[in-house]
Amino acid sequence: MLKLKDVRRSYQLGPVTTEVLRGIEMDVRSGDLMSIMGPSGSGKTTLMNIIGLLDRPSSGSCILNDRNISGLNDNELSTLRNRYIGFVFQSFHLLPQLTALENVCLPLIYRGSGRPEMRDRARALLKHVGMAERANHRPSQLSGGQKQRVAIARALVGEPALLLADEPTGALDTDTAAEVMALLKELNAESGVTILIITHDAAVAEQCKKQMRIRDGKLIDTRNLAAPTLGNETEREKMPGASS
Amino acid sequence: MRAMSVLAANGREAAQSLRRSGLRTALGLIGVAIGVSSVIAMVSLGEIAKEQARKQFESLGTDIVVVRDNASGGGDQGGLDLPIALALSDTLPSVLQAAPRIQGYGSFLFAGRNVGQGSIQGVTEAFAVVNKLPVAEGRFVSNLDINRSYAVVGAEVAQKMRGPAQREVIGERVDINGTLFTVVGVLEPYVESYALPVSIEANRSVFIPITTAQRTSRDPRIEVIVALSAPGVHHETVAQDISNYLRARATKMQPDIVTAKGLIAQMEQQMGIFTLLLGGVGSISLVVGGIGVMNIMLVSVTERRGEIAIRRALGARQRDIRSQFLIESIILTSAGGLLGVVLGLAATYAISRFTGWDFLISWLSVASGLGTAAAVGLFFGFQPAYQASKLDPIAGLQGH
Repeated sequence: MLKLKDVRRSYQLGPVTTEVLRGIEMDVRSGDLMSIMGPSGSGKTTLMNIIGLLDRPSSGSCILNDRNISGLNDNELSTLRNRYIGFVFQSFHLLPQLTALENVCLPLIYRGSGRPEMRDRARALLKHVGMAERANHRPSQLSGGQKQRVAIARALVGEPALLLADEPTGALDTDTAAEVMALLKELNAESGVTILIITHDAAVAEQCKKQMRIRDGKLIDTRNLAAPTLGNETEREKMPGASS
Repeated sequence: MRAMSVLAANGREAAQSLRRSGLRTALGLIGVAIGVSSVIAMVSLGEIAKEQARKQFESLGTDIVVVRDNASGGGDQGGLDLPIALALSDTLPSVLQAAPRIQGYGSFLFAGRNVGQGSIQGVTEAFAVVNKLPVAEGRFVSNLDINRSYAVVGAEVAQKMRGPAQREVIGERVDINGTLFTVVGVLEPYVESYALPVSIEANRSVFIPITTAQRTSRDPRIEVIVALSAPGVHHETVAQDISNYLRARATKMQPDIVTAKGLIAQMEQQMGIFTLLLGGVGSISLVVGGIGVMNIMLVSVTERRGEIAIRRALGARQRDIRSQFLIESIILTSAGGLLGVVLGLAATYAISRFTGWDFLISWLSVASGLGTAAAVGLFFGFQPAYQASKLDPIAGLQGH
């Protein structure tokens, strides 16, 4: 479904060129529940932006559903983003002025759905994530966990090929984080939603079927890595100067 | 389909967004409202002034034609013979009446008292008709009064002659520049109109037969012909006819023909320029209002960078973001425009009451005020909206 081949991304800051991604190889298959782990500054966010079609690789190819996205213009990327990617962010990124229902409707607005149809669909998703009763609440009236549930409903409302979650539990307390992770796992197991979680939290990463780590701008399959070593490596992996 | 869905959603959200940022919206609104109201007030007042001037002209009669001789010097006889001037209306079907005038100046003595100084106008019967001079007592100069020493006195002269004793003046003799004239008529008080290029000053004048004036006046040239054009004839046709007639018969004359309608047309053109100028002055404040809106929108875009980035991440195209902010600024300025129309009309009403002019609503100004308001929103909203659409979603998501 999503294939990254030798994806590189470098930033030019004055005379200095910083290469953040140095040849990412990646293959996400339909139905995957995958995590990418790495400390801050490891290129996680840059990778997420490229997978999320917000950024384009400097070189290499990014193939989404057999389509190379490298040569696409902004409009085409927006359309693909709307159709294939569902975002879940650490800080929820709900629009404060809109109700939960209206927030969930947003992706469908940009798809051009009819109003009654999109509201029905948004309601169904809010129900699915257990937020039906809060449909008309604004984000300020919701707890962190509830906000993230709304955000997940919004990410899924357009039936994306990939749910891209950037630190989905980062702003939540342990219990709520567990609930949100349980919801994501359930969505993956029961509805077959492909989920890619980007995190620096080993506890989150461990719950995924596939686990990758990003180090020095390269991705390594860490499926077989044992959990106890992770904490130590986090310190070593920090790369000063390589901001994403 | 997609575009409509996005536009509808943008419209709904724009209204909400404007309501949320209450004070800022109100300030922007007021800026535009002041601009639009000043355009409307200025243009409406221009229109009202024009209408007022037109009415003033029309009360004098729009069919008046004034003929003068531009030739300088010209000798005793002048460029125009009396018979030629008198035959004007009989010869030309486009001229209803023609009233030539010989004008002198002098002082009037009555019963040993000075009863004023003023113009001595040698005229024909037609002069009273053409210039609407109503007679209060007696009669006006008649065409049968050839060479007779008869005089018709203006209201003010008559008043002075009567004195405190309210003497009868008809039939009395008045000394005009040393010649005695018998008073045969007294005129009603006359309201001078300054709109026409001929001054009558009837109240302080005496009118004598033109033939008499030819003999007694120091300057016996025909100074002016005041004519009436026939109904339904275009003012330029009349002017052309008279010009052709005079050029053929009075070769020494350089006729200068002014028609009331021509003057009105000229006046309307000038008032049009005046209105345009006023509208321009009003527009300046509208532009200032527009700059205010632009400022507000720029602040709004900066504040909502995060929102823009989220929308972009969810699939909004650049033009969706652009339309969102454009719609917002157009709604803002259009609402300001509506408020401005109300304020502008109220100001116009107040000013027209104050000046005593007739209030009228210039729909053109209302339409153009509203149209410009929307255009201002589009114009001054474009840069902020464009800026919003070009924001980098990645930066926006991180900054949030």
